Amino acid sequence: MPILPADPEITEEARIGVYVCHCGLNIAGTVNCEEVAEFAATLPHVVVAKDHRYTCSDQGQELIKNDIKNSDLNRIVVASCSPRLHELTFRKTCEEAGLNKYLFEMANIREHCSWVHHHDKEAATEKAKDLVRAAVAKATLLESEIETVVPINRKALVIGGGVAGIQAALDLADTGYKVFVVEKQPSIGGRMAQIDKTFPTMDCSICILAPKMSDVGHHPNIELYTNSEVQEVKGYIGNFTVKVLKKPRYITDECSACNDCSEACPIAAPNEFDVGLATRKAIFTPFAQAVPSTYIIDRDLCLNEEGIMTCDKCIEACERQAIDFDMKPETIELQVGTIVVATGAEVSDPTRFTNYGYTRYPNVITSLEFERLINAGGPSSGNLVRPSDMKIPKTVAFIQCVGSRSKKGNPYCSNVCCMNTVKDSLLIKEHWPDVKIYVFYLDMRAFGKGFEDLYRRAKEAGVMFIRGLPAEVVEDPKTHNLWVIGENTLQKEIYKINLDLVILSVGIEPCKDSDAIQRLFTLSRTSDGFFMEAHPKLKPVDAPTGGVFLAGCAESPKDIKDSVTQASAAAARAGILMAQGKVTVEAITPKPILENCRICGMCAQVCPYNAIVVDKEAKSVQVIDAACAGCGTCGAECQFEALHMRHFTDNQIRSQIDALTEEDADTKIIAFCCNWCAYAGADFAGVSRIQYPPNVRIIRTMCSGRVSSTFIEHAFARGAGAVLVAGCHPGDCHYIDANYQTQRRVERLWKKMARLDVDTDRLQLLWASAAEGERIATKIREMQSVLAKLKPEGVEKATKAFEGR
Amino acid sequence: MTLLKRSNSASDLYVCKVLYRRDRLYSRRTKKPLTIVLGREARMESPLIPQEIREKTKYCFECGVCTASCPMAELLSPQYNPRSVLQQILEDPDRALKSEGLWLCAWCYKCYKRCPQGLKLPEILHTAKQEVAKRGFDASFEKAVSIIEKHIPFPILCWYTCFHPERTGIPNDKIVAMKEKLAGRPKKGKKPTNRQGRAAIIGSGPAGLTAACQLAERGYPVTLFEALPKIGGMLRKSMPAYRLPRKELDNEIQLLKDLGVEIRTSTEVGKDIKFDELWRCGYKVVFVAVGAHTSLKLGIEGEDLDGVIDALNFLWTAKESAKVDITERVGVIGGGNVAIDAARTALRHKAKEVVILYRRSLNEMTANPWEIGEAEKEGVRIEFQVAPKKILKKDGKVAGLECFRVELGELDETGRKRPVPIEGSEFSLQLGTVIVAIGERTETSFLPNEVERDRSNRILVNPVTMETSMTRVFAGGDAVTGPASVIEAILAGKRAAGFMEKYLNETGEREDAHLAS
Ligand SMILES: Cc1cc2nc3c(=O)[nH]c(=O)nc-3n(C[C@H](O)[C@H](O)[C@H](O)COP(=O)(O)OP(=O)(O)OC[C@H]3O[C@@H](n4cnc5c(N)ncnc54)[C@H](O)[C@@H]3O)c2cc1C
Ligand code: SF4
Ligand code: SF4
Ligand code: SF4
Ligand code: SF4
Ligand code: SF4
Repeated sequence: MPILPADPEITEEARIGVYVCHCGLNIAGTVNCEEVAEFAATLPHVVVAKDHRYTCSDQGQELIKNDIKNSDLNRIVVASCSPRLHELTFRKTCEEAGLNKYLFEMANIREHCSWVHHHDKEAATEKAKDLVRAAVAKATLLESEIETVVPINRKALVIGGGVAGIQAALDLADTGYKVFVVEKQPSIGGRMAQIDKTFPTMDCSICILAPKMSDVGHHPNIELYTNSEVQEVKGYIGNFTVKVLKKPRYITDECSACNDCSEACPIAAPNEFDVGLATRKAIFTPFAQAVPSTYIIDRDLCLNEEGIMTCDKCIEACERQAIDFDMKPETIELQVGTIVVATGAEVSDPTRFTNYGYTRYPNVITSLEFERLINAGGPSSGNLVRPSDMKIPKTVAFIQCVGSRSKKGNPYCSNVCCMNTVKDSLLIKEHWPDVKIYVFYLDMRAFGKGFEDLYRRAKEAGVMFIRGLPAEVVEDPKTHNLWVIGENTLQKEIYKINLDLVILSVGIEPCKDSDAIQRLFTLSRTSDGFFMEAHPKLKPVDAPTGGVFLAGCAESPKDIKDSVTQASAAAARAGILMAQGKVTVEAITPKPILENCRICGMCAQVCPYNAIVVDKEAKSVQVIDAACAGCGTCGAECQFEALHMRHFTDNQIRSQIDALTEEDADTKIIAFCCNWCAYAGADFAGVSRIQYPPNVRIIRTMCSGRVSSTFIEHAFARGAGAVLVAGCHPGDCHYIDANYQTQRRVERLWKKMARLDVDTDRLQLLWASAAEGERIATKIREMQSVLAKLKPEGVEKATKAFEGR
Repeated sequence: MTLLKRSNSASDLYVCKVLYRRDRLYSRRTKKPLTIVLGREARMESPLIPQEIREKTKYCFECGVCTASCPMAELLSPQYNPRSVLQQILEDPDRALKSEGLWLCAWCYKCYKRCPQGLKLPEILHTAKQEVAKRGFDASFEKAVSIIEKHIPFPILCWYTCFHPERTGIPNDKIVAMKEKLAGRPKKGKKPTNRQGRAAIIGSGPAGLTAACQLAERGYPVTLFEALPKIGGMLRKSMPAYRLPRKELDNEIQLLKDLGVEIRTSTEVGKDIKFDELWRCGYKVVFVAVGAHTSLKLGIEGEDLDGVIDALNFLWTAKESAKVDITERVGVIGGGNVAIDAARTALRHKAKEVVILYRRSLNEMTANPWEIGEAEKEGVRIEFQVAPKKILKKDGKVAGLECFRVELGELDETGRKRPVPIEGSEFSLQLGTVIVAIGERTETSFLPNEVERDRSNRILVNPVTMETSMTRVFAGGDAVTGPASVIEAILAGKRAAGFMEKYLNETGEREDAHLAS
């Protein structure tokens, strides 16, 4: 049995004004608006019911305002277009007339009615009446709400010190905000520090990056934590508490970077910065331009063991006594208001493509290794030597798309490798014009500013671009030269080319620790594994979690220019929040009803944003408004109706169901659509004038996760013919992954229906994006057959089975 | 403006377009809209090609990896190009179904192993062939047979081991006629050995046979060394008679004798004659085609028990003697063609119950689909995603097998999912015989150290010439690739023969130091 909470705030008698809009002929061409208005007048609590040619016009709005004043209206219903279009407009109208904006409700009789049922005016008019009836029913139960205001801490955290992180930090710091930068490695700089030149301008990479790195090091507003990791993030937009683990470097500030210690150290290991092509000592500095420019000891290699001490050569060598083996890891707590995630990406490991022989053949190298070899500061002082005999190669090949665009590697295009190869081939030609260069490609992608020009230069320089990827690379056992065998697909000929050096253009992959970052910040990731933006077009740098922004390769593979652009955008977005100093949160968050609550903790478990804190011992439930996104999943999960989901309350939704099932329920489909995808998709069907049967009635919720099983059961109990639950595609959910809860609930209900011998086809689940109007229409057409085979006994059985829900 | 009646589903965009182009889009005669067939998508509607194939072929990026991997493409160059056959199926199915290209695939799966999109070309082509057979366009099949006749040595052997046209539903009389045509092809007789250089060929599998044949045809004196008493290599030793009738093998091998190749069976190089002696016997070049015959070990407890046999030896004894030493309940471990052959052969002997245990899933098996199907029909049970843990013992003999189940994890280097054990999933099977068919290695201890090999003991060669790191020593077939296919071995033999000629034609003193030793 539902436990009906008392609605303490509804004390006054509802006085509702209903306005039915013609929208020129857009609505009136199909729906008889006068008839609908007359019908509305007969509904309980309706004091005023009018139709108007253009309700959203100034005149229309004035009419509403006057009626509010003159007729003492305290609820307004407008039946017109989609609330996604004009809800804000009418909410403002109400406010201007002194009515709380949450006392407004809309019935969508254009996109969901007149535009999609052109040929059945009668049915469209009946449907419009039903929709108005539901809106009035909900309006009767609406409550005025006050939006919460949350203060924003004016400090920012940037994680990742690659070029994206550097840019975001500098922009924020220059604006005047305090910025903390956390970098995992001993130095900032990221991938760009390793690259020799950059396309398309052929600038020296470190020459343009080093000044920025040193700015970060010296900026009074920036506090830099290298060799550090974020361990824990708590809080919400504007008020994050972040724990950072600062690992010891074992070198004090006294260090003057003289290199004496490193020279004395007996232990050497492959150098990460040179991708293993050179060595470093156990005490080292990652590279010459490193920031901070101090040294660090790799304790995994170092021979100095605590308490035993078998080596102290560096201590002896260091005149400034900057070495301190007693340093301990520190945990630092930072309070910040906004966060920029710029953790970058990794290059993919081609070892698994055994037909290319990487690691088996010394003369097969990756593009990143190439960058180090061609770099004047690299292990071969800028001489492109091949590893087997350290000679300058005469023939070189690049193989494109290694690990990208395939079923065996990553499915996506890595975005930078084509241009990187063009750049690399020109670099070789610049130094050694006689070297013969082949590029084996699938498609050459040169889409950016200046890219085509660079590509043309490479062609002019004589680089041979051959379409068709090699099937294999085989080493000639006598010479260590490589045979590259493939098909030139444009010539339809097999090539077998003997080469001195083969460079694999490896792709870009999400960082291995993306999982951890995702969990820390409750981010989402696309199927590719990169972090997902809040909206791919209109909010490309906002993370779905409020107050968190994305920049650089962490979001998708991109080049330096795009990384920097995105970083500046992220800094600007974070800056806007901090400049405002506060945010208002839409009053659609839940309020716990403690009398009903049994402290079961289910709500907290399903909340995608960790916005509910349930303390079993203190028997308290607390919703953090600022963190809550208002999806309503918790409300749907709660068995005891102990969460009052503001503006989408259980009672409001039930009243809508009641209104829609008042007449001929068994011929109708009750559809619950999420605001972002399914509802928007139905709007799109309207805009595209896609026609479908008029017996569907759509109820809007913010997320399909709001749809509690009891709503569906209630609809069946009321005799509804069929129920459709529609939300975003898995992975596209606007509330991270709340739609998985939807799926789980629907699946459970299917089982229950089967048990109760209720036709399971009567409940359907659909994933549809905002662009998939046709998909929604098709589903509704399909569902007609379910209604067609429905017998009165069947309806009755369901009514009985779910009675009282 | 409102001349046109707007259909319910037409979008504004469509209506605008139609209004704009009305004159041209409507047929004057029928008054119906004309449709323009554009590019791929439109063509794909052709009803000739089954939906499942259409779906798959869409994802080909035309990278050319399949063609460059395909042994048939090289052997028949330029008459066969699997990539373009596949593309034709997508773009122009009517023509594709009539092209001979469909029939030229030799089922080696090499393309599948490398295709970045994981397309199973041989199976796609197979479905297309079945479609052809249904419609009776078998002129393309005839054309393919005459191409094969011209370019492929031992076409009858390949018919049985590689092409399997009878699997496609081509009428039987046509099959018989074509096979007879191949059998009756003009053969080259014995040539006077007018050329000087002598070639030694070690191993008489398809690679060795092909090289011997090619060189003999060109008039060089050739000696074929074979450790076993009869030639044919794996074809003789392990290929069950129900797959390759012995008569056919003998017939094809007769060809070699007709060409005057000196055949020395029961002569193991390294034991009966040392490798270095070959130079002293006056051979100018050596082709090593010794295959991969050492069965890999499971590396689990109980492997040395009585009742554990390796698949190759089992297949060999099963062919040579009517009696094999197996029990009624047999387990076969492995998922390739050898495992299937062993299982089916076991059923033809004493075994009543045979179960194959394979680590991965059906999709990853590289045995031909019908082999798997027929084995199952004959009563072989296949357990997927199972790996052996230890062999159980009773009275010093095999009593059973303890196994565990595995999950498929990430893709490994062969592009297949890597099996990961599931904890606590152990179970045991009661068996008297365990046949191990998990792969083979090459035995190369007889070769001098100058011949470089990799970690798996495969001989390293120049892929173009097939020459090893030691001058004048060539290698090919399974000894280079690891267990692979007949057609790849034939290609290797053909490639090597071409480049061995260079040394055979040399006149004057031998300059290489090692020849004198
Ligand atoms: C071989 C190669 C050549 C290229 N050539 C060019 C070129 O010529 N021109 C061009 O425009 N682009 C080029 N690119 C692309 C360019 O490198 C990237 O666009 C750029 O480096 C992206 O910057 P980023 O800050 O997003 O990531 P990164 O440079 O990868 O920096 C990310 C940083 O975050 C740190 N980090 C990661 N995880 C954490 C964590 N959990 N906590 C703290 N810190 C963390 C990392 O240590 C790293 O320092 C090339 C890429 C490659 C691979
Ligand atoms: S104590 Fe460690 S870091 Fe210092 S010199 Fe010895 S090994 Fe190197
Ligand atoms: S950028 Fe070029 S090389 Fe890189 S994945 Fe895309 S197409 Fe392939
Ligand atoms: S409405 Fe959604 S985000 Fe808010 S507390 Fe409930 S589950 Fe969490
Ligand atoms: S290898 Fe695969 S993707 Fe490449 S051309 Fe062949 S079938 Fe197409
Ligand atoms: S299976 Fe072998 S023969 Fe057939 S297309 Fe693939 S590589 Fe060529």
